[in-house]
Amino acid sequence: MELLGNGSFLIEQLMNAIMLGCIYTLVAVGFSLFFGVLDVVVFCSGDIAVFGTFSLMGAYMIFETAGLTSMLPTPVWMMLLMGVAAILCAGLGVFTYLSSIRPFEKSSSLMPLLSTIALGVVIREAIGLFFPLGRNPQRFPRLIPNGSFGGHALLSYRNVTIICVTFLVLLAVFFFLRKSKMGNAMQAMAQNKRLAAISGINIRSVAITTFVLGGLLLSVAGFLIGAYYGTVRFDNGSLYGIKGFSAAVVGGLSNVYGAIIGGMLLAFIEVFVSILPGGAAYASAVAFIVVVIFMVAKPEGILGEKTVEKV
Amino acid sequence: MMNKGKTAEKRNLGIPLLTAAVIWLAVFFTLYLNYTYSLPLLAVIVIAILTLEKKGIIDRTYIACIKERKLFFLAVLIGALLLPLALSGKPYALHIGVLVCVYAILALGLNFQMGSADMVNFAPAAFFGIGAYTTGVLTMKLGISPWLGVMIAAAITCVLGGFVGAPTLRTKGYYLSLVTMALQLIFSLVIVNIKAVGGPNGMPGLPGFTIGSFSFHQAHDFLGLRLPYQANYLYLALLLLAVLLFVAYRVNLSSKGLALNNIGQDEVVAGCLGININKEKLFAFCIGGAFCGIAGAFYGHYMSFVGPDDYDFSKSLMIICMVILGGMDNPLGVAVGAFLLIGVNEKLRDFADYQMLIYGLILMIALLLRPQGLLPKRVRNYELIFHKKASISHDKKDETVLSVSE
Repeated sequence: MELLGNGSFLIEQLMNAIMLGCIYTLVAVGFSLFFGVLDVVVFCSGDIAVFGTFSLMGAYMIFETAGLTSMLPTPVWMMLLMGVAAILCAGLGVFTYLSSIRPFEKSSSLMPLLSTIALGVVIREAIGLFFPLGRNPQRFPRLIPNGSFGGHALLSYRNVTIICVTFLVLLAVFFFLRKSKMGNAMQAMAQNKRLAAISGINIRSVAITTFVLGGLLLSVAGFLIGAYYGTVRFDNGSLYGIKGFSAAVVGGLSNVYGAIIGGMLLAFIEVFVSILPGGAAYASAVAFIVVVIFMVAKPEGILGEKTVEKV
Repeated sequence: MMNKGKTAEKRNLGIPLLTAAVIWLAVFFTLYLNYTYSLPLLAVIVIAILTLEKKGIIDRTYIACIKERKLFFLAVLIGALLLPLALSGKPYALHIGVLVCVYAILALGLNFQMGSADMVNFAPAAFFGIGAYTTGVLTMKLGISPWLGVMIAAAITCVLGGFVGAPTLRTKGYYLSLVTMALQLIFSLVIVNIKAVGGPNGMPGLPGFTIGSFSFHQAHDFLGLRLPYQANYLYLALLLLAVLLFVAYRVNLSSKGLALNNIGQDEVVAGCLGININKEKLFAFCIGGAFCGIAGAFYGHYMSFVGPDDYDFSKSLMIICMVILGGMDNPLGVAVGAFLLIGVNEKLRDFADYQMLIYGLILMIALLLRPQGLLPKRVRNYELIFHKKASISHDKKDETVLSVSE
């Protein structure tokens, strides 16, 4: 019961869970977006996110050697850095669509799943091979300064940035989907592809925009992964991919709000199992057991709609 | 015996013999040569299969071989007996041969679910591992015979297949994939934390197979050749593969195989046709689990080591790749897939850093260029296969009728 007595410890863990939840949520929203619009599971989403982390680190290294970090004011080069990572991730997203999704439009739904898994392996290994010393764990540069608001350890700049960035990005995505013309086209396509095409929506460009948007989202997720953990490994991507996919499915695939609930749920389970005595080793296992139970009890997810099969 | 053919139809004895010879020569040279020659050879094999398939020669050869099946199987048997002798100087080539057989069995097991019924199970490596750990614990802690260990492992993985299959009955498509994926990860995460089975270090020292005083784990002299211990295991693995390939073929040809195909194509239709969907799905999981368990137990005793690294998610992906590359729902194709991928994998060992990259690229290209696999599934030719027996036995007749209804 000493756990409960020490209130600040619990609150600290709560904070950890929220931040982990932010990462899972962003990856899960990526999954939901792809699945909602195109009915495909893009399994290399986690790898795209880690690719974002590594492109941030690579760009930082180049900036530093070129002397840009000392020449320009901090906000400017930070923006440039994020821009480089975002463009690279969006490009990778489009490449994913062109290489692993579009060729299989007419074949069974299994094929995109497998081809994106294969692409994930390729991305992962390419990072490991072509990033300098890529196979070793990499230290993420301190982009967010140490320190905290009002000297409170919980409100460190890192924590506040992670939560704020996630919130703002999600807000932007929702506004994009609700208010912009392209966002509406995506929703139309999610509901009925043929009808969308007949109504004059250019399906190709909507699909590509979806992947650009997904790539941008995942690049932010990549930034958060680096900022939260401090060190990254090239093969972390598959784990985030599976966690993000689980979160999306638990929340209800194709429902973007469900992805948030799923991501937070998964992160809370994981963090609170790991603070139990001897639980740290089993944290992920327990999270997956919950996923399996969820799938069996409520396969459509928390917010998903039940599909009834008709003859 | 072969000259007893008294029928009027023309007999073609050359093709079966030639086919068997070509198959074994290709296998031998792929295993024997080092990567500078064997990788191009593998590429040539792939191209040859694709061209022959396109021209329909493979189908004609298949028919010719089945018509003369006694001769063909005899030729294959001779090849199988000669292969370990021919490779006796190269223990590593023999090791690759054993690996090919083990993974071919795994791929056959997965094929019941993924190939036949279109249920992508991402956990074959977990069953592989459970089989190995089961026999490891039984033989080392309880001291039972490895042979018995393999059988108990098969039984346990069969039952576990049912347990895994049961919750997945309620899920479909992506959801089923996620559940099996989660189960695979749970297996990997839990096994690393169990101290009794060595945790991350695994369990070394599994006993090898023995028959009387003949130990499979020792080198033996035969006709003046010194056969390394891998050769004994290659014989055993080939025997095991042959038996399980036969079982897989018979299941595929039976009404079970047809029912699974039907479920894979359209569950609603299958249900309307009176197929017990849950029963058939569970059957696919049980028999697939047993196949993987047998492969795992055999592999554990062969390596005399069981560790968590051999049974992780990437191995599941590898087995899935074999099924896709070889050809879904075609047992022989699946075995060819295992041969090609293990061949590439082991020969690339010198470039360990590039291994996975090349692997991923091969899978991507294979999916893009030939999603149906090298040897796609065929329409079942019951007329040919059960030609002579059809008039004798009644249950065979039933299957002939089924083929018509398909």
